[in-house]
Amino acid sequence: MITLLPFLLGGLMMPPTPGVCVWTPEYYQIALLPTRRVPEARQAEGAAHVSFVESPFGIAVTRAGHYRYKLELRVSGLREIEGHSYVAWLATPDLKDYQRLGPMPANNVLSTEVYWNKFIVFITLETAAAPEDASWQGPVVMRGMSRSGLMHTMAGHGPYQQEPCTVYGYY
Amino acid sequence: MRCRAAVAALWMLTVPALGQHQHHHMAPPVSDSLQWRMPPMDMSMPMMPGLEDALPPTQPLLPSMTTPPQARPGEVIPLADGDTLHLTAGPVTRTINGQSLTMYGYNGQYPGPMLEVQQGSTVIVQFHNHLEEPTTVHWHGLRLDSRFDGIAGISQAPVAQGEAFTYELYFPDDGLYWYHPHLREDMQQDLGLYGNIRVHPGGEPEAAPVHLEQLLILDDVLLDKHGLIPWGEEVPTHALMGRFGNVMLTNGVTDFAIDVRPGTAVRFFITNVANARSFNVTFGNLPVKVIASDISRFERQAFAESVPIAPAERYIVDVLFPETGTVAITNSIQAIDHFRGEFYPHVDTLAFVHVQGAEAVPDHRAAFGQARENATVTNDIDAYRSHFDRPPDKELELSVRVQQLPLAIMLSMEIDTLYVPPVEWNDAMPMMNWLSTGAQVTWVLRELSSGLENMDIQWSFTQGDVVKVRLFNNPRSFHPMHHPVHFHGQRFLVLEIDGVRSSNLVWKDTATVPVGSTVDFLVDMSNPGSWMAHCHISEHLQSGMMLGFTVEAQNQPR
Repeated sequence: MITLLPFLLGGLMMPPTPGVCVWTPEYYQIALLPTRRVPEARQAEGAAHVSFVESPFGIAVTRAGHYRYKLELRVSGLREIEGHSYVAWLATPDLKDYQRLGPMPANNVLSTEVYWNKFIVFITLETAAAPEDASWQGPVVMRGMSRSGLMHTMAGHGPYQQEPCTVYGYY
Repeated sequence: MRCRAAVAALWMLTVPALGQHQHHHMAPPVSDSLQWRMPPMDMSMPMMPGLEDALPPTQPLLPSMTTPPQARPGEVIPLADGDTLHLTAGPVTRTINGQSLTMYGYNGQYPGPMLEVQQGSTVIVQFHNHLEEPTTVHWHGLRLDSRFDGIAGISQAPVAQGEAFTYELYFPDDGLYWYHPHLREDMQQDLGLYGNIRVHPGGEPEAAPVHLEQLLILDDVLLDKHGLIPWGEEVPTHALMGRFGNVMLTNGVTDFAIDVRPGTAVRFFITNVANARSFNVTFGNLPVKVIASDISRFERQAFAESVPIAPAERYIVDVLFPETGTVAITNSIQAIDHFRGEFYPHVDTLAFVHVQGAEAVPDHRAAFGQARENATVTNDIDAYRSHFDRPPDKELELSVRVQQLPLAIMLSMEIDTLYVPPVEWNDAMPMMNWLSTGAQVTWVLRELSSGLENMDIQWSFTQGDVVKVRLFNNPRSFHPMHHPVHFHGQRFLVLEIDGVRSSNLVWKDTATVPVGSTVDFLVDMSNPGSWMAHCHISEHLQSGMMLGFTVEAQNQPR
């Protein structure tokens, strides 16, 4: 399974456009894909655009060296469901840390900052009664992963094909 | 003894990577001839198959093994208008981490002497080359006469061993500058040839008063227990990522420290002279007030958590040390282990500030808490704002080509490139990097309109032109990396990064173009002559990443 992982994950990303210069930070852009768990959101599409928070130094990092990114979620195709709202979230890949970004606004554009090394962005469908201080209760309707999430062990891949990845803590 | 050997063998069996390093060239030289030794690396990372006996395809090179004079700490040399400085580049003996090393120095010092001059003054430098190889001196950031810019083949011929050259330096801008060789700087600069120039403002002071002004020249060197890891003789090694050192030097030493009193406001003048390493400089948990960068003050002083600084950049920042105790100045980064596919926090201690004794006087706490506006800077920039929104005049794509790299490296790089960070803060693949040379790697500046590359690009401008240069660091190239791009003899504004307009501008001569980013420079072509622009990662420059341009004089008085 682990051998296929980078290629499966790679399929989630925007495909490269050979020979064409892209004048946007498209490389780090996060495709938000529908999960098809909610019929009203099956046709949804969108992306999380990634750029540096403005800084005197051009690049923006925290005291600990994490990149400080501005994240702008832009989605379409989320049909309204009475008594429910679509809520955006950020989380580390292991889900140990998460942050509620809040309901998607009427224009379906939501901005925030993030400084995690690897993170996932997702939108859930929550009932009006769902508490704001708890984790998500409803189904995930869209999700995407930071480009950095593609980085994983080389053990078992390429020139390290014979390297037993379990030795390094991967299964 | 037997027990210890058994434990070692068991450990190597448990972590198979360790057993794979037995063929590495890590032994000391066994004869007078210089041999390659592999740079230190994480020994738990497995050996890349097929590279067990691989060496860089160039001869190893170190300074002569004779014992030159012991180097001494850098001096501060005040120079008045019209003064002459005698500056000599020569071999020195340095002691780093207890090892006696043959290195280079200006005037036998580490760092080279710090020149204190007044804005608007002119100084003569009689330079003498006592190295065993040709060199030049580049006066980084100065908008001086191009005949004295120190670019071999453009502004002057190389200064051969035993020869001399006279530089005339003019200082039109206040701030912090530096000087270094512009010939094989991957080796000469790394061996210690660098020094600062402090240009005191002719008009208003650069910021509120502080108790202490302190230089911080940041560098790293690559050592193992036998001494300096050799450089490539014909071409540089470490052509992929640049030569990262494993020992941090601040002002030329590993244990730099200052003593201050509680409440002391310190103005730090920071220069990154490393070949490749970008630092993220922190002062404990203290806030940093950012005053100025390469060629000017910022429009507005700003508070920050840290100072990310790329090779050749300078920042002037204030830090107030409020309480008794010791504050570590560190390089704090999220390093990457590409083999494991993980980020990990990494901290290098660069220096210590010991805070003790009676309260500093006068009290600068209130002044430190205020961020000033610099109207003179804003007024200066106002003349350029009409150019901000027009299309770019020049468009460059930054990329890389490789040839004849070992197959294992090519395969590894393909996996590695699934994610490339905006900035490489550490040498995540030291073996692969070491084995790549300037003969196999070509870093490329490609002009989109003409398709021309590197020194085939020869732009022509007229003095007074304001040129918008758009740089796109193509993340789809084989192994992209960030590039601190330096324009000689001119100043520029970083207008936008990825379409985000900067609201607090500063005049620069070097700025980082992160991977995947599009960065707009607005270059003030104010200084006539023949110049170049290039990546300031030394090995990238030596691997081709440079272009030329001329600025035709308009007979304007300087």
